[in-house]
Amino acid sequence: MAALWIHAVEQGLAYGIAALGVFLTYRILKFPDLTVDGSFVTGAAIASILLVQYGVDPFTVLPIAFVAGGIAGLITGFLNTRLGITDLLAGVLTMIMLYSINLRIMGRPNLSLLRVPTVTRVVDAVWSPLGSLAILAFIAILTLAIKVLLDVFLQTEVGFALRATGDSEPMITAQGVNTKTMKILGLVVSNGLVALSGALVAQYSGFADVGMGLGTIVTGLAAVIIGGTLIRSSRVGWMTLGVLLGSLVYRVAVILALRYGYVIGFQASDLKLITSLLVILALVVPYLRERRLRKVSAC
Amino acid sequence: MKRFIAVVLLSLVVVSVGFSAASAPLRIGICKIIEHPALDAVEQGVIDALTAAGYEEGVDVEYLIASAQGDFSTAIAIAQNFKAQNVDLVVAIATPTAQAAVEVFRGSDTPIIYGAVTDPVGAELVPSATDPSGNENVTGVSDMVPVEAHLRLLKELSPDINTIGIVYNPGEANSAILTEMALAAAPSVGVTIVTATADTTANVPLAAQSLVGRVDAFYVTTDNTVVSAIDSVLAASEEAGVPFLMADPTSLAQATLAAGFDYYEHGLTVGQIVLDVLSGVGTDEIPVTYQPSAEVHLNLDAAERIGFVFPASVVDQASAILYGGIIWERQSP
Repeated sequence: MAALWIHAVEQGLAYGIAALGVFLTYRILKFPDLTVDGSFVTGAAIASILLVQYGVDPFTVLPIAFVAGGIAGLITGFLNTRLGITDLLAGVLTMIMLYSINLRIMGRPNLSLLRVPTVTRVVDAVWSPLGSLAILAFIAILTLAIKVLLDVFLQTEVGFALRATGDSEPMITAQGVNTKTMKILGLVVSNGLVALSGALVAQYSGFADVGMGLGTIVTGLAAVIIGGTLIRSSRVGWMTLGVLLGSLVYRVAVILALRYGYVIGFQASDLKLITSLLVILALVVPYLRERRLRKVSAC
Repeated sequence: MKRFIAVVLLSLVVVSVGFSAASAPLRIGICKIIEHPALDAVEQGVIDALTAAGYEEGVDVEYLIASAQGDFSTAIAIAQNFKAQNVDLVVAIATPTAQAAVEVFRGSDTPIIYGAVTDPVGAELVPSATDPSGNENVTGVSDMVPVEAHLRLLKELSPDINTIGIVYNPGEANSAILTEMALAAAPSVGVTIVTATADTTANVPLAAQSLVGRVDAFYVTTDNTVVSAIDSVLAASEEAGVPFLMADPTSLAQATLAAGFDYYEHGLTVGQIVLDVLSGVGTDEIPVTYQPSAEVHLNLDAAERIGFVFPASVVDQASAILYGGIIWERQSP
């Protein structure tokens, strides 16, 4: 059972990187960006073809995937800010384009990584003294490093301008900041992170598939909102921590549903229902406790 | 007396072995990527094959049945859950589920039996289709559709059939490879292939319509996206007045003719491999098994609507016909 919890945390953190990307657009920029369902696969596709066809080092493909995702974000940003297409539609259009582009990158809809070295396999071999914790340790270090980098970035002058663009566009325009450039920058970094997550998840899973991005926006948003509910803070560091926590809650819910769902008589087809009920539980318990505390203090 | 004691001892051993088997049923994890009539039928076929061989559910065998519900990350979590629960054998239905299981069970000796995988070698589940020695803990059954035989069947319908239109989703691994195979086989059959792609079910009607007037026959393989909107392909073929061959007999009512195997039979074949492995045959002794498929089913109602008459040679091959809304099976001689 311990192994299962380790896997849940591994997945929570690996998908957490994508959730940080969604956080950047949805929470910071207030830009509902649907590009991510496509850019997640773009990262996986670039990573896989480089590993399979060109024998590139599995760690090197991660930053390359980030760049590829960034280009996807650039396209959405260009469509929105330069061609005046609304935010939702710009993201949808890029996402649809990416479906064909991802197929072009991979050359086929499914690329197996079962017989090439991947980050998880290399880490498993090199960090073998850590045993079953090796992969978890690697993913945790990578994800937390990205979280800290993102925190630092959002504290810089550019980062402040980015946050201000989401908070109050007219005000920051009056300050002489080009909000269009800020939006593009945010979309580039966001989709870069999502693609990096895709590259990591593909290596973790042992394959890349053109359909694997489906629902990235949904689970990413779920992580952002769960995180925002569990950790209420306007400090960037706490907010990003909350996002990772939210991503963990979701994966733990999936594992719990899989492990114990059938014990209490649920069928395989009930999985998504149980998962969502568990997430609701995770959200409601702190809410109810808070309300009770407020009532007590009101007395 | 000695003999009596020996018999008593022997029977005690037999009984205790029997008891230990009964107290710890075999645990088999079955996972599929999504709820889908074909994949559900495979799952049922596996269970029925085991039941027929005497593995009673709840007594001799316990099934852990899971569906990733279309979510690839869940496919990994399911395999991890199976591993954590120490299942004795995994049945993985469809390509991504099988890949996830192989990745998670890497280095373990738990057998993984895949089903509903078109190209197990391309998916790198096993290194070779014919030589099983490198299989490690993986083997299974391919649902490869005999595309070339289907093209020949279409050509047999009428010598005037020269251009065949295929509607497919290029995003489905199985479909993409079957379409490639059709393109490769076309010259030797003496036909030309024209394709129309649909990335979602909603786009299938448009793709099918785009072929009207350009092709002499329609052909659809086991493409999940297209099968979900199969009626629109039939409508397009009827508008064009040309026959439509479907590579899945369960969709006979929505085609002029259908050839191939039933996915329930496919499940029974997967179940047979499971039984072989349970009886001690190594996964590295079983090469990729290809689903035998020879059945041809004809829809006379649909043929009548386009004024098409099946040639006698094709009627002779048919194992079932749909006529007057009823399916008539050929009685075995």
